[in-house]
Amino acid sequence: MIAAQTKLIYSQLAMQRAANLNRTFRALADGTRRSMIHALAQGEAQSASDLGRRFRSAQPTISKHLKVLEQAGLVKRTITGRVHRFRLHQKPLQEAGGWIARHQAFWTGAVGQLDQLLAKGVDDGDK
Amino acid sequence: MATNKPQVEVRRRFAAPPEKVFAAFADARLITRWLSPSPKIALTPLRFEFREGGTYRFAYGLEDGKTVIVNGTYILIDPPSKIVFSWIIEPPDEHAGIESEVTVAIKPDDGGTELLIQHKKLILTDAIVRHAAGWHGALDQLAAALETEKQHDR
Repeated sequence: MIAAQTKLIYSQLAMQRAANLNRTFRALADGTRRSMIHALAQGEAQSASDLGRRFRSAQPTISKHLKVLEQAGLVKRTITGRVHRFRLHQKPLQEAGGWIARHQAFWTGAVGQLDQLLAKGVDDGDK
Repeated sequence: MATNKPQVEVRRRFAAPPEKVFAAFADARLITRWLSPSPKIALTPLRFEFREGGTYRFAYGLEDGKTVIVNGTYILIDPPSKIVFSWIIEPPDEHAGIESEVTVAIKPDDGGTELLIQHKKLILTDAIVRHAAGWHGALDQLAAALETEKQHDR
Protein backbone atom coordinates (compact mmCIF):
# COMPACT_ATOMS: atom_id res chain seq x y z
CA MET A 1 0.00 0.00 0.00
CA ILE A 2 1.21 3.46 -0.87
CA ALA A 3 -0.30 4.91 2.31
CA ALA A 4 1.64 2.45 4.47
CA GLN A 5 4.85 3.21 2.61
CA THR A 6 4.31 6.93 2.94
CA LYS A 7 3.70 6.50 6.65
CA LEU A 8 6.88 4.48 7.03
CA ILE A 9 8.94 7.07 5.18
CA TYR A 10 7.41 9.80 7.32
CA SER A 11 8.24 8.01 10.54
CA GLN A 12 11.78 7.33 9.36
CA LEU A 13 12.18 11.00 8.52
CA ALA A 14 10.77 11.96 11.90
CA MET A 15 13.14 9.61 13.71
CA GLN A 16 16.05 11.02 11.79
CA ARG A 17 15.06 14.54 12.67
CA ALA A 18 14.70 13.60 16.33
CA ALA A 19 18.15 12.02 16.29
CA ASN A 20 19.61 15.15 14.69
CA LEU A 21 17.98 17.35 17.28
CA ASN A 22 19.25 15.21 20.14
CA ARG A 23 22.75 15.43 18.70
CA THR A 24 22.47 19.22 18.54
CA PHE A 25 21.31 19.44 22.15
CA ARG A 26 24.08 17.12 23.33
CA ALA A 27 26.71 19.11 21.46
CA LEU A 28 25.50 22.32 23.09
CA ALA A 29 25.46 20.86 26.60
CA ASP A 30 29.14 21.64 27.01
CA GLY A 31 30.39 25.10 27.97
CA THR A 32 33.62 24.91 25.97
CA ARG A 33 31.73 23.91 22.86
CA ARG A 34 29.28 26.78 23.30
CA SER A 35 32.22 29.17 23.64
CA MET A 36 33.77 27.70 20.50
CA ILE A 37 30.53 28.29 18.62
CA HIS A 38 30.56 31.83 19.87
CA ALA A 39 34.12 32.32 18.64
CA LEU A 40 33.17 30.91 15.25
CA ALA A 41 30.10 33.14 15.17
CA GLN A 42 32.40 36.18 15.18
CA GLY A 43 32.80 35.60 11.49
CA GLU A 44 35.61 34.13 9.51
CA ALA A 45 36.42 30.47 9.41
CA GLN A 46 39.07 29.63 11.99
CA SER A 47 41.61 26.88 12.09
CA ALA A 48 41.81 24.24 14.80
CA SER A 49 45.09 25.74 16.05
CA ASP A 50 43.53 29.25 16.25
CA LEU A 51 40.84 27.78 18.42
CA GLY A 52 43.36 25.87 20.53
CA ARG A 53 45.29 29.05 21.26
CA ARG A 54 42.15 30.95 22.06
CA PHE A 55 40.90 28.38 24.54
CA ARG A 56 44.34 27.42 25.89
CA SER A 57 43.46 23.78 25.41
CA ALA A 58 45.47 20.88 24.12
CA GLN A 59 44.94 20.22 20.43
CA PRO A 60 43.41 16.75 20.94
CA THR A 61 40.79 18.27 23.27
CA ILE A 62 39.93 20.95 20.72
CA SER A 63 39.79 18.35 17.96
CA LYS A 64 37.43 16.22 20.01
CA HIS A 65 35.08 19.16 20.65
CA LEU A 66 35.19 20.14 16.98
CA LYS A 67 34.31 16.61 15.99
CA VAL A 68 31.23 16.60 18.26
CA LEU A 69 30.15 19.94 16.79
CA GLU A 70 30.77 18.68 13.28
CA GLN A 71 28.76 15.51 13.86
CA ALA A 72 25.90 17.63 15.17
CA GLY A 73 26.12 19.62 11.95
CA LEU A 74 26.91 22.80 13.89
CA VAL A 75 30.20 23.44 12.14
CA LYS A 76 31.45 22.74 8.64
CA ARG A 77 35.07 21.78 8.03
CA THR A 78 37.14 22.72 5.00
CA ILE A 79 40.59 21.28 4.51
CA THR A 80 43.35 23.17 2.69
CA GLY A 81 46.59 21.24 2.71
CA ARG A 82 47.21 20.52 6.40
CA VAL A 83 45.01 23.31 7.69
CA HIS A 84 41.50 22.45 8.86
CA ARG A 85 39.20 25.45 8.97
CA PHE A 86 35.81 25.56 10.67
CA ARG A 87 32.75 27.59 9.93
CA LEU A 88 29.46 27.87 11.82
CA HIS A 89 26.41 26.20 10.31
CA GLN A 90 23.18 27.63 11.69
CA LYS A 91 20.44 25.31 10.49
CA PRO A 92 20.60 22.78 13.36
CA LEU A 93 20.37 25.61 15.86
CA GLN A 94 17.28 26.94 14.16
CA GLU A 95 15.71 23.47 14.26
CA ALA A 96 16.45 23.13 17.97
CA GLY A 97 14.95 26.57 18.49
CA GLY A 98 11.82 25.45 16.63
CA TRP A 99 11.06 22.67 19.11
CA ILE A 100 11.40 25.01 22.05
CA ALA A 101 9.44 27.86 20.50
CA ARG A 102 6.63 25.47 19.62
CA HIS A 103 6.32 24.09 23.14
CA GLN A 104 6.66 27.49 24.75
CA ALA A 105 3.75 28.62 22.57
CA PHE A 106 1.80 25.46 23.42
CA TRP A 107 2.02 25.91 27.19
CA THR A 108 1.57 29.66 27.11
CA GLY A 109 -1.61 29.18 25.08
CA ALA A 110 -2.83 26.29 27.22
CA VAL A 111 -2.29 28.13 30.50
CA GLY A 112 -4.14 31.11 29.06
CA GLN A 113 -7.08 28.86 28.25
CA LEU A 114 -6.88 27.31 31.73
CA ASP A 115 -7.04 30.78 33.22
CA GLN A 116 -10.28 31.47 31.36
CA LEU A 117 -11.72 28.11 32.33
CA LEU A 118 -10.94 28.67 36.01
CA ALA A 119 -12.27 32.22 35.87
CA LYS A 120 -15.56 30.91 34.52
CA GLY A 121 -15.58 28.31 37.26
CA VAL A 122 -14.73 24.74 36.33
CA ASP A 123 -18.13 23.51 37.50
CA ASP A 124 -20.03 25.62 34.99
CA GLY A 125 -21.18 24.15 31.74
CA ASP A 126 -19.63 20.77 32.35
CA LYS A 127 -22.71 18.94 31.27
CA MET B 1 28.23 18.14 31.03
CA ALA B 2 24.66 17.36 30.18
CA THR B 3 22.31 19.36 32.29
CA ASN B 4 18.67 18.57 32.69
CA LYS B 5 17.34 22.01 33.33
CA PRO B 6 13.96 23.26 32.23
CA GLN B 7 13.80 24.57 28.73
CA VAL B 8 10.28 25.71 28.45
CA GLU B 9 8.79 27.36 31.47
CA VAL B 10 5.40 28.94 32.00
CA ARG B 11 4.32 30.40 35.35
CA ARG B 12 0.88 31.73 36.15
CA ARG B 13 -1.11 32.80 39.19
CA PHE B 14 -4.78 31.89 39.53
CA ALA B 15 -7.41 33.05 42.00
CA ALA B 16 -8.72 29.47 42.13
CA PRO B 17 -7.45 27.14 44.89
CA PRO B 18 -4.84 24.42 44.14
CA GLU B 19 -7.47 21.65 44.18
CA LYS B 20 -9.32 23.26 41.27
CA VAL B 21 -6.13 23.74 39.28
CA PHE B 22 -5.12 20.14 39.93
CA ALA B 23 -8.58 18.92 38.86
CA ALA B 24 -8.14 20.68 35.51
CA PHE B 25 -5.25 18.26 34.79
CA ALA B 26 -6.92 15.20 36.28
CA ASP B 27 -10.35 15.20 34.67
CA ALA B 28 -10.77 14.06 31.06
CA ARG B 29 -13.76 16.34 30.52
CA LEU B 30 -11.88 19.36 31.83
CA ILE B 31 -8.62 18.89 29.92
CA THR B 32 -10.45 18.97 26.58
CA ARG B 33 -11.51 22.51 27.48
CA TRP B 34 -8.05 23.99 27.89
CA LEU B 35 -5.05 21.70 27.22
CA SER B 36 -4.28 22.98 23.72
CA PRO B 37 -2.40 26.05 22.53
CA SER B 38 -5.53 27.83 21.30
CA PRO B 39 -9.33 27.46 21.26
CA LYS B 40 -9.00 26.78 17.52
CA ILE B 41 -7.03 23.59 18.16
CA ALA B 42 -9.35 20.92 19.49
CA LEU B 43 -8.10 18.24 21.86
CA THR B 44 -9.61 14.76 21.64
CA PRO B 45 -8.25 12.39 24.29
CA LEU B 46 -7.81 8.98 22.63
CA ARG B 47 -6.63 7.52 25.93
CA PHE B 48 -6.51 9.10 29.38
CA GLU B 49 -5.40 7.05 32.37
CA PHE B 50 -4.69 9.62 35.06
CA ARG B 51 -2.75 7.49 37.54
CA GLU B 52 0.95 6.86 38.10
CA GLY B 53 2.13 4.53 35.35
CA GLY B 54 -1.02 5.27 33.32
CA THR B 55 -0.68 6.52 29.77
CA TYR B 56 -2.40 9.15 27.68
CA ARG B 57 -2.77 9.79 23.98
CA PHE B 58 -4.07 13.15 22.80
CA ALA B 59 -5.15 14.02 19.26
CA TYR B 60 -4.93 17.69 18.33
CA GLY B 61 -7.01 18.78 15.35
CA LEU B 62 -5.25 21.66 13.64
CA GLU B 63 -7.00 24.36 11.65
CA ASP B 64 -5.68 23.04 8.34
CA GLY B 65 -7.32 19.66 8.97
CA LYS B 66 -4.13 17.90 10.03
CA THR B 67 -3.87 16.00 13.29
CA VAL B 68 -0.94 15.94 15.70
CA ILE B 69 -0.86 13.10 18.20
CA VAL B 70 1.02 13.29 21.49
CA ASN B 71 1.42 10.41 23.93
CA GLY B 72 3.09 9.83 27.26
CA THR B 73 3.05 8.23 30.68
CA TYR B 74 2.12 9.74 34.03
CA ILE B 75 5.34 9.32 35.98
CA LEU B 76 4.34 10.99 39.22
CA ILE B 77 1.01 12.21 40.55
CA ASP B 78 0.94 13.92 43.93
CA PRO B 79 -2.43 15.64 44.45
CA PRO B 80 -2.86 18.56 44.53
CA SER B 81 0.72 19.73 44.17
CA LYS B 82 2.68 17.88 41.51
CA ILE B 83 2.25 16.01 38.22
CA VAL B 84 5.08 14.69 36.03
CA PHE B 85 4.49 13.09 32.65
CA SER B 86 6.47 12.21 29.57
CA TRP B 87 5.60 13.89 26.28
CA ILE B 88 6.31 12.42 22.87
CA ILE B 89 4.89 13.60 19.57
CA GLU B 90 4.06 10.80 17.15
CA PRO B 91 5.15 10.62 13.48
CA PRO B 92 4.80 12.08 10.90
CA ASP B 93 5.32 15.30 12.86
CA GLU B 94 8.65 17.08 12.34
CA HIS B 95 9.37 16.86 16.08
CA ALA B 96 8.21 13.25 16.43
CA GLY B 97 10.09 10.89 18.70
CA ILE B 98 11.83 13.49 20.85
CA GLU B 99 11.47 12.38 24.44
CA SER B 100 10.66 15.15 26.83
CA GLU B 101 9.11 15.51 30.23
CA VAL B 102 6.59 17.93 31.66
CA THR B 103 6.55 18.85 35.35
CA VAL B 104 3.52 20.64 36.73
CA ALA B 105 3.97 22.27 40.14
CA ILE B 106 0.87 23.62 41.89
CA LYS B 107 1.44 25.77 44.98
CA PRO B 108 -0.95 27.62 47.27
CA ASP B 109 -0.35 31.34 46.88
CA ASP B 110 -2.12 33.85 49.07
CA GLY B 111 -5.56 32.29 48.76
CA GLY B 112 -5.00 31.35 45.14
CA THR B 113 -2.56 29.17 43.26
CA GLU B 114 0.78 29.53 41.58
CA LEU B 115 1.17 27.16 38.66
CA LEU B 116 4.57 26.38 37.18
CA ILE B 117 4.89 24.21 34.06
CA GLN B 118 8.37 23.11 33.03
CA HIS B 119 8.99 21.13 29.88
CA LYS B 120 12.36 19.45 30.39
CA LYS B 121 14.88 17.00 28.99
CA LEU B 122 16.52 19.40 26.62
CA ILE B 123 19.71 21.30 27.00
CA LEU B 124 19.16 24.68 25.42
CA THR B 125 17.56 27.67 27.02
CA ASP B 126 15.22 29.95 25.19
CA ALA B 127 17.99 32.53 24.98
CA ILE B 128 19.16 30.60 21.97
CA VAL B 129 15.73 30.73 20.37
CA ARG B 130 15.48 34.46 20.65
CA HIS B 131 18.89 34.87 19.13
CA ALA B 132 18.96 31.93 16.74
CA ALA B 133 18.72 34.17 13.72
CA GLY B 134 21.05 36.91 14.75
CA TRP B 135 23.39 35.34 17.09
CA HIS B 136 26.13 37.70 18.20
CA GLY B 137 26.48 37.86 21.93
CA ALA B 138 23.68 35.33 22.38
CA LEU B 139 25.99 32.57 23.46
CA ASP B 140 27.65 34.80 26.04
CA GLN B 141 24.26 35.42 27.55
CA LEU B 142 23.37 31.78 27.26
CA ALA B 143 26.54 30.68 28.98
CA ALA B 144 26.05 33.29 31.70
CA ALA B 145 22.45 32.17 32.18
CA LEU B 146 23.49 28.54 32.42
CA GLU B 147 26.16 29.41 34.96
CA THR B 148 23.68 31.34 37.08
CA GLU B 149 21.14 28.55 36.87
CA LYS B 150 23.76 26.01 37.78
CA GLN B 151 24.42 27.89 41.00
CA HIS B 152 20.69 28.11 41.70
CA ASP B 153 20.17 24.49 40.88
CA ARG B 154 22.41 23.58 43.82
